[in-house]
Order: sequence, then structure tokens, then C-alpha cells
Amino acid sequence: MNMEILKKYGLSISLLALLFFVLPSCEKNLDEPALNRTFNEEIDYSISDNMILPLIGTYADFYTRGWETIPLIAVRGDDVNAGGLGDQQPFDATDHYIYDQAYWMYNSLWQLNYSDLYRGKTAIEQIELYREAGAPSALADQYIAEINTLNAFLLFHVARVWGDILIPDTGDPADLLVAKLSTKDEVMQYISEQMDAAIPNLSTVHPADRTDVPGGVNRYTALTIKAMAEQELGNYQAVANATSEIINSGVYELEPDFYELFKLKGKLNRENILELQYSDYGQGSGDANFHLYAFYGPQNWEPAVPGIGAGWGFFEPSFKFIKFMLDRGEAVRLETSVLFTDRGIAELQQDPKYAVLPDFVSNTTRDGDVITDYARAKFASGKHYLPSNQITPGRTGYGNNKNYTCIRYAEVLLMHAEAILQGASSSAISADEAVNLVRARAGMPAITGVTLQNVVDEKFAELAMEWGVRYYDLIRWEKYDELNYDGRTFTTDKIYLPYPQNQVDQLPALDIR
Amino acid sequence: MKLFTRLLLIPLFLLGWGAAQAQATTYTGVVTEEGGEPLIGVNILNKKDATGTITDFDGRYELRANVGDTIVVSYTGYEPLTQVLGVATTLDFELRQSAELLEEIVVVGYGSQKSRDLTSSITTIRSDEIEKTPSGQPMQALQGKVAGLQIVSAGSPGEAPKVRVRGVGSYPGSDNEAPLYVVDGMFFDNIDFLNNNDIKSISVLKDASAAAIYGVRAANGVVLIETKGGKFDAPAQITYDGYYGVQAAQNVLKMANAEQFTTMALESGSEADISFINNAMQRYGRSRINPNVPDANTDWYDVILRNAAIMNHSVDVSGGGSKAAYSVGTSYFMQEGILDMKNEYERFNLRSKIDFKATDWLTIGGNAIISNGTRYLPEDAAWFLAYYAVPIMPVYDEKNTDATPLQLANAQDLGYRGGQNPLVATEFNENQQKIRKLLGNFYVQFNILPEKLSFKSAYNSSYTTINSRNLDFPYFIGNNFQRENSAIQKINSNYFNQIWDNILTYEDSYGKHNLTAMVGSSYRDEAYDQLEVRALNFPTDQEAAWFIDQAETLDTDRGNVGDDGSRYYGISYFGRVAYNFANRYLIYGTYRADGSNKYQEKWGYFPTVGVGWVLSEESFFDVSGINYLKLRASWGELGNDRIQASDGATTTSVVTTSLGDVQYSGTQTSNTFSALRWEVVEETNFGLTAEFLRSRLSVEADYYTRDTKNAAIRVNIPAIGGTVLRNVGVIRNSGFELALNWSNSTSSGINYSIGGNIATLKNEVISLFGQPYIDGGTAEFRQRSIVGEPLLAFYGWETAGVYQNQAEIDADPIAVANNLEPGDLKYVDQNGDGVNDAEDRVVLGSYLPSFMFGANLGISFKGFDLSANLYGQSGNKILNRRRGEVIFTNDTNLDADLANNRWHGEGTSNSYPSSKGIRKGWNQRLSDYWVDDGAFWRIQNVQLAYNIQGEKVFGPGAPDLRVSFTADRPLTVFDYVGFTAEIPDGVDRQTYPIPAVYTVGLNVKF
Repeated sequence: MNMEILKKYGLSISLLALLFFVLPSCEKNLDEPALNRTFNEEIDYSISDNMILPLIGTYADFYTRGWETIPLIAVRGDDVNAGGLGDQQPFDATDHYIYDQAYWMYNSLWQLNYSDLYRGKTAIEQIELYREAGAPSALADQYIAEINTLNAFLLFHVARVWGDILIPDTGDPADLLVAKLSTKDEVMQYISEQMDAAIPNLSTVHPADRTDVPGGVNRYTALTIKAMAEQELGNYQAVANATSEIINSGVYELEPDFYELFKLKGKLNRENILELQYSDYGQGSGDANFHLYAFYGPQNWEPAVPGIGAGWGFFEPSFKFIKFMLDRGEAVRLETSVLFTDRGIAELQQDPKYAVLPDFVSNTTRDGDVITDYARAKFASGKHYLPSNQITPGRTGYGNNKNYTCIRYAEVLLMHAEAILQGASSSAISADEAVNLVRARAGMPAITGVTLQNVVDEKFAELAMEWGVRYYDLIRWEKYDELNYDGRTFTTDKIYLPYPQNQVDQLPALDIR
Repeated sequence: MKLFTRLLLIPLFLLGWGAAQAQATTYTGVVTEEGGEPLIGVNILNKKDATGTITDFDGRYELRANVGDTIVVSYTGYEPLTQVLGVATTLDFELRQSAELLEEIVVVGYGSQKSRDLTSSITTIRSDEIEKTPSGQPMQALQGKVAGLQIVSAGSPGEAPKVRVRGVGSYPGSDNEAPLYVVDGMFFDNIDFLNNNDIKSISVLKDASAAAIYGVRAANGVVLIETKGGKFDAPAQITYDGYYGVQAAQNVLKMANAEQFTTMALESGSEADISFINNAMQRYGRSRINPNVPDANTDWYDVILRNAAIMNHSVDVSGGGSKAAYSVGTSYFMQEGILDMKNEYERFNLRSKIDFKATDWLTIGGNAIISNGTRYLPEDAAWFLAYYAVPIMPVYDEKNTDATPLQLANAQDLGYRGGQNPLVATEFNENQQKIRKLLGNFYVQFNILPEKLSFKSAYNSSYTTINSRNLDFPYFIGNNFQRENSAIQKINSNYFNQIWDNILTYEDSYGKHNLTAMVGSSYRDEAYDQLEVRALNFPTDQEAAWFIDQAETLDTDRGNVGDDGSRYYGISYFGRVAYNFANRYLIYGTYRADGSNKYQEKWGYFPTVGVGWVLSEESFFDVSGINYLKLRASWGELGNDRIQASDGATTTSVVTTSLGDVQYSGTQTSNTFSALRWEVVEETNFGLTAEFLRSRLSVEADYYTRDTKNAAIRVNIPAIGGTVLRNVGVIRNSGFELALNWSNSTSSGINYSIGGNIATLKNEVISLFGQPYIDGGTAEFRQRSIVGEPLLAFYGWETAGVYQNQAEIDADPIAVANNLEPGDLKYVDQNGDGVNDAEDRVVLGSYLPSFMFGANLGISFKGFDLSANLYGQSGNKILNRRRGEVIFTNDTNLDADLANNRWHGEGTSNSYPSSKGIRKGWNQRLSDYWVDDGAFWRIQNVQLAYNIQGEKVFGPGAPDLRVSFTADRPLTVFDYVGFTAEIPDGVDRQTYPIPAVYTVGLNVKF
């Protein structure tokens, strides 16, 4: 019995004693960190070679543009329409200058651009940490300047679409809650100053020749963005100065083949100043980064290479543009800019003036892709089309592997010409020379004594369907009448889109009722 | 074999039942209650042949029986008496009031208490109630039975219902609102692996006083599950229980047919839409009934729905000797889904529980449950696709000759942007999950001072593996409607959780003082890891080759190869004191200190106190008709550590991009930082427990308020989108709960019970730390949490009818300003400024019901018993996002309700826009037009059963039989235009329908 009691108390007491010792030692587990996370405190910033990683991450962000964002920026011009009714009616309404604050595309464009702006700022903070840990300071300056250049491009478009906006000054988006609106002019001034700061730190070689970041931005990208901002401000001398420097550098030249410039040959072309890069890395399957070009493509086609997908039919060159081009006797630029359907051609021919059309006005492209009729639209954008025979075998998406051009040297030349005609003096070439360079490449005869109207028309012909250049030019020139076409009525209160409702709800500064 | 032979004999025995037997003696007497009042309607039953009688108005009875027979004298609310008949033929009985209900032992955290000693709100549901519901999900059986417990059914086989105890105190998402489930001491996030037959009881600890002992895990309520065990000194009992049945979709949503759809398209004013109709007539011909409609009329829901089987078989053996008690059981459950694809759930469970008295001071025991389930998940997108697919397209299209492997029709051939055919979802996907769970509990208990001081050490562990295999089969239906590469994805997840509890319990009484005290510690370790891989082009035609190794190439895109893990530790110290004086004054308190490695802040402390006053025990209390009356009050604090840990720090991830056609890696760093901590819930509860009219009527009522004091809320990051969790709010849930139960017998031998419960819920945001509101939902489907309003209320414009004619447009400056036409919606100008804008938005309702009720009825007579349950709720709203997504694609199909009630001319509708209108941004913004009433009521369960006492009918040794017919959720009534009004988060996009289930069941007890 004693034995039994001994066992009973012995066992229970020893268990309790064990507890007394074991539990406190378990408490050290409470300091265990969460698993499978790279906490920033644990990044080794002394590995200077890694300083490029946040920069490449920023390029990745910059290239990841939502499919709806660029069309929304561009759709209001007289060069392009939203396609017929049917799906996405508020997109079509926007094309007709009827705005809907709650439409998801508005919010999406705003949010994606601001999101990338802030990610860029975070990347700059990361680069600063590498610099503090001993990375080469000049290189850090260059990377930061590149990020600021990309950010300037994004902010530029936000300001063109909405006018007065918020400038993200700090790295914390929460600071926007107490930020004040900057006028569009203040934003353009800010962009110009940002570029001034970036320019000395940037590379001077052509993007295609860069070995550290192939296709990355350089000094001339920053100069171009500065010129675009100054152009918005009406400081034409500043535009002429910046464009002169680009022209004088000799880094860029026009691609002789306008048609192929918008195809695979256009990738990192000598003409390109800024482009979004995509690739399938030459592989028929596996990793790939693509833009969703389907939005621009025709809904129906018989591709020369069977099995390549069609598009959604949302981005339709206008009759106004096509007739304008035909009137001018344009060939390669019209062929490159527009994919025709039989239905569209027939409607064109109803106008006796266009009863007889040049041969290239056909539903078959020079690469043999046949655009069949589809409900939404009568034409599709040719600048966003990649012939099916240029798609890597194994890939099937419309436009897969095509880069997206943001700024071309041709635009720089035309900005240069306009600046001179607006009264600025050039240290490079004359307005005539600049315009004729562009015309010659397009197979158009040279003209002398170029007028502002010549530049206006040349920009229309050269840059249609690209980033809404036409719309924002018309606004800048106050040629509002041009926007009254095909049943549309434009009034000056329609210049800017209303702030997205979702943003007004969050950001007190936007609540300007 | 023996079993089956016996089953075959049933009909024969049924015929013989009821044959009269000769009886010799007549016994008479009076049945009275203590104190001498005669009792009317008392049952007197001869156990030998089940003959019986009842007492008359004077309490008298008369019964013919044989000497040696055993009779049972029983009356609701009184202790039954058993008597072996002797030669004396006059037998009077005096029945004592039953204290059974109040002496009931209730499982509480780390121990048990007598029901009468409770100061808190606990509801316990027993196995017989749970087994009535034919479901693979035990929690489903509780719907409508526990006041204040909301169960949102899940229709998909193997999917656990959503469970909410007393509202939502935590911001929804990532399951941080789910209660804690404790299965025999082990913590779980749900009990989807248990069979209804595995469970002895489920106790819902509703208030802080009951739940606080679980500290940082308790904030969302605690559900305690006791699995079946044996009994000491009980003969072996073998039970078979099974059912087989069929499930059928209920309230199938009626879609616009080809004619209605065509009419809508023609009225749309959209050339494109009209041309698609023409394309369909060209491709499929014209209908002979109406030549302006294409000759295709597909009801896509009809195509993807099917009737589905459900069955369960379980066998249990339990009993015990003087030293040991045991229970061993096994079950097989199978349920097909009503979505017509490889969609089913199968589960095989084994369990055993053994308690062994090693010595008089040492008890050891253990229990193990093995659950092996296979689930084929539905492709929920099919529900959504079927809503949108146009009816003017057949399922199969013989003209689509290029299509393979099935000649499915392609809406792109008609001109639509998408291919639409929902069969691509159901035919070319297979999602398998193998779910294996092992639960083991082992304990040793020392009775250091007999009946007074004991020490228990328990080790609990659970091991779960979920192996997912998701297959994408290739198809070609059109150039833009194809899947070129087949793909196989494998995701293996492992969870290993351990809990080690040590508990010292002291119980004693000195005179009228009764005391129970407990102190304990608990160490917790939760490990999780997951590995996933995806590969392309696997041999699709042979299942034996469905392995990554057999595929052509690994799909190495980021996100397709993944490795993840987490490990959380917790250490807790806790104690409890329960004291009562003369069973009259009750005091109760617990305290728990919880340590965790999940947050920057390591320790949290959670106290609770409760008091009770049993008025009916007071000498001055003498109210006739009231047998028992207790008032209760409690207060406590609870924690919720389901809030994720990872948002607490900025992190960096790796991305790739193309630079000059070469793939480069870069890094992206998150730009938000917040230090999270667990949420703290403070709850106050007032309650009343009473019994009336000889305990035939029982009442339980509670009023509570629970405040989540630092609720973690998803805050939108300004300008850039995305959200970050921050502890920035106070959310209050308050409500009143009442449960009534009446049970009695009639003089004709019918036993019946009828009960009901109601619960109200008010969910309110009390504070957002200075901000007026926080937005949730999405930009297009806005939900907003505003101070003073429910959490995540739907937020938008209030409609005021439809513009009927041009005169009405011209007279309204708002209509003119917005270029409106007749057939457009009219919105209320809330601030009366003559402009329609964001300032006119209002709260359109909450997804949480403000009122829930349940009712039950049970009747038994002779061998028959019938039970029925009702459940209903109201006050909640549903965002009909199926309809609402017309904002993203507006040329596809609509439901018949929309088509029939559309405005199409003056006076045709004052609530639905025109076909043209529904495509316009003006009408598409979130208004009460898209937000519907979510009220419903339902016949939850009806069961009719017939019981056969085997010994009586078949002779000695024969089993007892019970044959039952069950209709589960046969009728649901609601106004909402959808399959079900049970939408977990109130946003209905592709909710799996809730089927009705009809089963035949058999229960055999040896």
C-alpha cells in the first residue's frame, strides 16, 4: 500500500515538476518569426550587384499595363472609336464624351498608374539602402533617374486625362489623404523639373545598345518626356531645346519600313524612344510576358497561320481618319494603321468620292491574314496587329510577343517642327527638314514652307491610334471642332474625365464639388 | 450474413405484431406526485409486451398483466419508476419530480459542470438530433436549433457550412470569423472530417463567460465536440445506422429563353446585339413557333444540373466492463454533387475510444479517429457561365466541325466576345482532393485525493494531409476558345498540430459551500507546409499516368511552382473557480494568459466572471407553476488570433520581365507596413433559465452585447488600390435570444414536444478610430463600413422608379443633365440639390440577418415518431452580382425575371429598366435595384420513423429496428432571384445551389 501511495504521488508530482521545467523553455518559441517571407530587414544590402533588382522590378511593373488603360487614354480622339455598341457601353459613351464617374475603367487606370508610381518610389528607397551599404553612388543615381523617368511618363498621362491631380511626393500613399490638388500646369512643371534632375544621371546610348538593362530608358527618353510636358505648358522654346538635343545626338533614326515598325521588327528599333517590352523568349510554350492585344484585334479573321486567336474589336479607326488619309493619298501609313473588313470597305464606297479605292484597301493584309466581317466594328487598328506568320509557333494569342511602343523618334521630330512654328528657335534642324524626314519615310513627297496646319495633319497621319496623341493635341490647339464628328458633340467641360468615384470616396482633395 | 437474414424477416414480423396475448391479472392503483396530488395521463407500460394504459382524472389506472411482468410508470417531468409485478393487485405509485434536466452534465472547456451551476449560455445538441440530418457536415444539423448560431448551408459536397456565433465581430475574409472547434480537446478550424455518427454531442459556448477559457482563440465562439465513447459496466451494444437518398436542385433559377432574349436584344438599340441574333438564325435556323427567333433554346441550368445520390452507413460497437469502457465505430459516407460533372465526396472514417481504470487512482485512455476522404470539387464557374450563356445557342453545334473532343457550340461564332459554353467548365476540368485526417488524444489522470483533487495530462494531435490534383484537359472549340495544353497541378498540404494540456482540478463541499477550482497550462504547436507544382501536356487518356513526371514540361511560371509553410506556437496558463452557496448563489470566473509568436505583441490576458441566482431555491420564492428560475449575468474578454500575421511587415518578392527578349529577374517591395495584433472581444451577457408547469415548459433567454474592440479591418490604400489590415475599429454585435420548449403526453398515449427559438442580431460599427467610414467590397460593387451602420453594408443609390415618358424626363433636371430616356432608372435625390451624384448614396442594407428563427415539433405514438424543423431568417440583403456583372459584359443572357419585368413602354414597369437601359452606365451603378431581400424560411427537416422493439416482435436476442423517411430542406421560400438565399458573404456570383435531400434510413441495435 505504501508502495502504491509512493507511486501515486511520485508519478503525479514528477509530472508536475516536469511541467514546471519544460513549459518555460517552450516559451522561447514565442520569438520564432513567420516562415517563408523575405523580411526587408534580412536583405543583405551590401551585395551591390543586387542593387539592379529593384530597378528591374520597376521595369516589370511598368510593362504590366492593364489592357484597358491605354485605350481609355486614347479613345476620345477623332482618329479612333470604341467600336459599335454591345459590350462595354460606358467605354463607348466615353468615346462620345459622356462620362461615368463610376465606370470601372476610370478607376482602373488611375489605380494602376498610381500603384506603379508608388512602387517606383519604394524601389528608389531600396536602391538608397544599397547605396548606404556601399554600392556605387553614381550607379544608384542612374537607377533612381531611370525610375523617375518611368514615373514621369505615368504621371504625365494621369495629368492629361484628369487635369488637376495629386502629385505623389512621398513614398507613403496614405500621405495623399492630406495632399492638395496640383493643377495640370503644376504637374507638367514638376515633371519637367524631375527630368532635369534625372537627365545628367542617365545613359546616352540607344536603349537597344544598353547591356545592363536592354531597352531601358536613357537621357533622351527623359528629354522627350520633358519636351512633352513643356509642350503641354506651351513653352515651345523648351520643347525645341530638348528635341534639338535629341536630334543632334544622332542616337535615333527613323525605321525605313513603316509597316514593319509595328511588327516584330519594331522591337527595340532605332526609332523607338520608349516601349513596353514583351517576349515569349523564342519558345512555343513556357514562360512568357505578353500584352493583351486582343482588345484591339478584329473579332473575326482567317489568319494565314491557322489557330491564331482573334481579338475583341474595341479599337476602331474612324471613317474620318481613313478618308483623311485617302484624301492625302497616303499608302503605307494607311495600310499600316488600319485593318479593313469588307463591310467597312463597302460603307466607305457608298460615298462616291471613295468608290474607287487603292489596292491595299482590302480585307487581306500583306501577310495574308483575312479580316472577316464582325459585329462590333468595321475596322481594326493595324498598329496593334502582329501578322499571324510572325507569331512564334506554339503561341496562339493575338499579338503575342509584340512590344508596345510608347514614344517614337517621329513624334520628337514633329514636336520639334511644331515648336519652331510656334516661334521657338532650333539648334538642330528646321521645321521643313523635320517634317520631310517623317514624310519621306512614309513615301510622301517633300513640302516646303511647312505651316502649323501641315504639322497638325502630319501628326494625325503619323501618330493615329497611338496613346491619344491626336486628342490631346486637339485640346492643346483648342481645335475642338475636330472632335465634333460622327454625331459627337464636344464641349470644353468634357476635356478631362471626372475623377473615379472610388478615388473621390478615398481622397478628400478630389471631392471638389 | 446473420444481419441480412434478419432484415429479410422484418416484413413477416410486422405482420405478426400486435397479436393479443392472454393476460391473467388486473392490477389497479393511483399515481400521485410527491405530496399526494393525483397525476392525470401517466403512462403505464408493460415492458414485456408493450401493452399499457394511462391514468384517469383521479390518477387511477387499471392494467391486465401477468405476475413477473415488469411495468414502467412514466410521466413527463418526473422520474420514471419500474416495478416487477407480484401477487398484490393494488399498487399505488408516488412520482418524484425529475431533476434530470438540471442535473445534466454539460461539457465546458477543460472540464464539465452541472447544468444548474452554469452562469453562461451554452446549448448542447445530442447525437439523436445530429443523426437526423442526412449530411456529410455535422454542423449542418445545427441549423435552426441553436438560438444565435447562424449556419449558412453549403451545397457543394464535402464543403463545410459557414458558421457564425452571435454575428460577425471580425472583418470577413480568410476565415477569421469562424468559431473554434474543439474535438475531444484538439483544436480545429472546422469539423468537415467527422461523420454525424461519430459525435455524441456538440456544445456551443456562446458567451464570453463560457468561451473565455479558450482565451485568444475564443472570440468567435467555441464549439465543443465530444465523440462517442463507451460506458463502464454496460453490455456491448452494436448499432448499424444508414440511409440512402437522392438530392435534387431546388428553386432553380429561371433564365430568359430564346424568345425573351431575342426580344431583349431587339429592344437594346445595339446593332451588334441584333446582328448576333441574325447570326444565330443563319447558323441554327429559325424557330418554327416564332420565325423571328433562332431555332435554339437552351436552358443552361437544366444542362448542368442533375439529381444526385447520397448515402451513409455506419456501425458502432460500444460498452464496457468494470475497468474499461470502449467504443469502436466505422462509417462510410458518399455524396454526389448536383453539378453535372465529376463532383462528389466520399469519406471513410474509423474511430475508437478507450478509457481504462489502471488503478483506483489512475485512469488512462485514448481515442483515435482516422478520416479518409476523397472530394471532387465542382467547377463553380459553371454556375456563373450558365447564367451568362445565351439561350440562342445549342449545347452542341454540328457545324462546328473543327471542335474537339466535343462539338460544343461557340458563342463567338455568333459574334459574342466570349465562347460562353459552360460545358467547358464541367467537361474539361477535374479537381480532386484527397483529404486524410488523423486525430489522436491520449490522457493520463491521477485521482490524487479521491473525488477531490485530480491531475490530468492530455496530449492531443491532429495530422491532416490534403493532396489536390487539378486537371485541365485540352479542347478546341474556336480559335479564341481553346485550351491548347493540358495541365496537371498537384498541391500537397500538410498540417500537424499538437496540444499538450495539463490540468489540476479540485472539488469540494463544506456544508452548503460547493467549490470547483482548476488550474492548467496548454502548449500549442501548429505547423503547416505546402508544395505545389504544375506541368503541361500530360497523357490525358490514362489516369494511371496522371503524374507530373509523365507530363512534357514543367510549367515554371511563377505562382505555378510554390512552397509555403508556417509555424505558430502558443503557450497558455489558465484557471477557473466555480463556487456556489446552497445551489442558490453561483459565482464563476476564469482567467487565461495566452502567449503567441504570431504578432509583435506576445502576451494577452483574458478574464471573465459570471454570477447566478437561483431564485426558485429561495425559501421566500413560492410561485406555483414555476419549478425553477435562475438569473444569470456574465462579462468577459476574448481574443481572436485568426488575424493573419504576415501583413505585419514589408516584404520583397521576385518578378521576371523581358528586357531585349531575355528574361530578367527583379524584385518588388511592398510599400505598406502595419503592426497587427489579435482582436479583443468584450462581451456582456444577461440570461434567464426557467422551467414552468411541472417542468413541461422550459425557457432560456439571453441578451448580449459583444464589442470587438480593435477589429482588424481591411483598409483601402489610397490611390493605388489594394488593402492592408489594420486594427482600426470597434464592431458591436448585440442581440436577444429566446428558446422555448414544451413537452407533454396526451391521455391517448401520444408524446409530443414543440419548441422554438428566435434570435435578433444588431451588427454595428461603433468606431473607426476617427474615420467616418472604411470602404470594402470592390470599386464597382461597393460595400462600406460606416460608423453607426452594419459592417460592410451595401452602399449605393436608392431607386425611385423608372422614367415612363419624355414629359417626365423633361420635367426632371437630373434626367436632362444625364441624357436619360424613358426606361432609365430614377434615383432618389437624397440631399435635394437637384443633382445626382455620389452624395446621394445611402446604405442599402447588410448581408447579416437581423432575425433568425427555428421551430421544432416531435410526436411519438406507439412505434411511430415524427419530427419536423423549420428555419428562417430575415433582415439581410443580397447583392445579386450575377446580374450586376452586366457592367463587364452586357450582351449576354439575363434571368427571366429581368426579361419579363423589363420596362418596354409606358406603364410596363416602375422598377426594372428597359433592355437598352440595362446596358447603360447610369442604370448599372450599384443601387437597390441590384440589392435584393435575402429573407427566407424553410422546412428544414421532416422525419417519419417507425420503431420495432425486436425482443417483443422477433423474440429474445432480436435487434431493435428503426425505419425512417427523411426529407431534408424539401421546401425553401424566398423572393430573391437566385438558387438560394443563403449566401455566406451576401455577394452572389456563383454560389453552389442547396439541394433538397430525400432519404430512406434504417437503424438496427443489437
